[in-house]
Amino acid sequence: MLQLANVRKVFKSATESYVALDGVNLDVRIGELFCLLGPSGCGKSTVLNILAGFEQASSGSASANGTPIRGAGRDRVLFFQDAGSALLPWLTVEENVRFGLRVRKVARADCDAIIDKYLKMVDLDRHRGKFPAQLSGGMRQRLQIARALAVEPAVLLMDEPFAALDALTRRRMHAVLLDIWQSTGKTIVFVTHDIAEAITLADRIGIMSVGPRSRISKVIDLNLPRPRDLTNPSVARIFMEIEALLAPDVARSEERTLAH
Amino acid sequence: MADIRDTDLRESGEKREGSSLAAAIRADTLRVPLLTLASIALALLAWQVMSTFIFNPFLIPPPLEVVRTAIPMLLSGEIIADVSISMVRVLVGFTMGSLAAIVVGVLLGRVRLLHDLVDPIIELLRYLSPTAMIPIAVIWFGIGELSKYFLIFWGTFFIVLINTVAGVWRAPIARQRAAECLGASQIQIFVLVVIPSAAPYIVTGMRVAMASSFMSIIPAEILAADSGIGYLLQKSSMLLQTNRIFVALLTICVLGFMVDRLFRLLVDRTLTRFMSFVTVT
Repeated sequence: MLQLANVRKVFKSATESYVALDGVNLDVRIGELFCLLGPSGCGKSTVLNILAGFEQASSGSASANGTPIRGAGRDRVLFFQDAGSALLPWLTVEENVRFGLRVRKVARADCDAIIDKYLKMVDLDRHRGKFPAQLSGGMRQRLQIARALAVEPAVLLMDEPFAALDALTRRRMHAVLLDIWQSTGKTIVFVTHDIAEAITLADRIGIMSVGPRSRISKVIDLNLPRPRDLTNPSVARIFMEIEALLAPDVARSEERTLAH
Repeated sequence: MADIRDTDLRESGEKREGSSLAAAIRADTLRVPLLTLASIALALLAWQVMSTFIFNPFLIPPPLEVVRTAIPMLLSGEIIADVSISMVRVLVGFTMGSLAAIVVGVLLGRVRLLHDLVDPIIELLRYLSPTAMIPIAVIWFGIGELSKYFLIFWGTFFIVLINTVAGVWRAPIARQRAAECLGASQIQIFVLVVIPSAAPYIVTGMRVAMASSFMSIIPAEILAADSGIGYLLQKSSMLLQTNRIFVALLTICVLGFMVDRLFRLLVDRTLTRFMSFVTVT
């Protein structure tokens, strides 16, 4: 479905060049919920931006359904952590969803039903007349989800969408996302630095090493029933396994932050 | 998804009841106008005392004297005529200047090459205040209306331009990319996302430019006009009519204040959607 083969990404500035990614291989299956997990500065967002088409790989190949990714595709929708700036703040909840339908020239007669359907799905239909600034952080993320689902993409690319939410809201959003994923069968690539979040959501977790020259060092197939309880011994074992895998990289990531 | 309703939702406003709240609101809404009135009354009193007992009343005519001078000027329509002449000049120059600046600013904000080419020139020219341009404007356009339009245009253009460019630049990347993912074309992104995102910056620039227009119309009329508030100042000065000078000065204060309020009211009525999110990230 989504494939990266031997992807290398170099960021060049006037004085230096930085090899962010080197030898990244990734194969996301149709209908899968794939989590990219790694400490900050490991290039997770860069991978996602390459999949979305907003950045080009310096070498190697990126493809969706076998066709090379060139520019933003209509079948892949990228999600942002900061829903406040990704949404159109001068439009109401309903108008934000309508925006995507309008630019895709969906027939006017069909719009209302589609908007109804997805606003109900994320439980925002009672708030359709409000502006994004009047919504809570969780509601804004739900609006972002509804707006994306309304244009019926095959893939959702999510860049730490719930990282700025409080813990309780985040847990609810996980339930909402899993619910929607199971009922719509979308392919989802979800970037996070939170091990618990990755374990709660993912079919498979790709673990990224810290940069420079980050790559996906290991892919873990979770194969656990949902909902997953972190206190369950088998789940907890995986948690500790991943934590041990990440530990040296977390230390390196911190040093990097200091050095900069 | 069953129980996402409660803490996650921020219901619009807490509904507190009781007359104490209503009273508090009333007290709060009355407090500011009352203090404003008190401030003006105190200033008038201080002015009256100073001009009567401390300074020469010819140099600083007392307020009552100014009012006595103002009434016939108002009744004869003299002030109204001068005000409307100045206002039309400001409005024409301001409107043209804002429109031109928005069009150019949107282009410069979008086309990087164009911006880098034109920006150095703008950075130099913007230090030429409208006042500095009066002598050449008179030679180019005479002392008629055209030179006033040009001077106000000149003063407005650069302020609105710089704000428009900044607004276009600061349209959040996430917002543009999100729109692109949803299927918007580059033109749609520009018209439906970037320009509305820039609106608060543009409006702020226009408001600053409006105030500066009021400041630059006066020297323009003092130096090169035969009508308008500035000309009234100039004529009264030649004839040593300090009373009339004070009437003109007061008129400028009141007029500027009123126009700014009117501008804000208009923005509130028409652009609230685009302005209200400025503080929200």
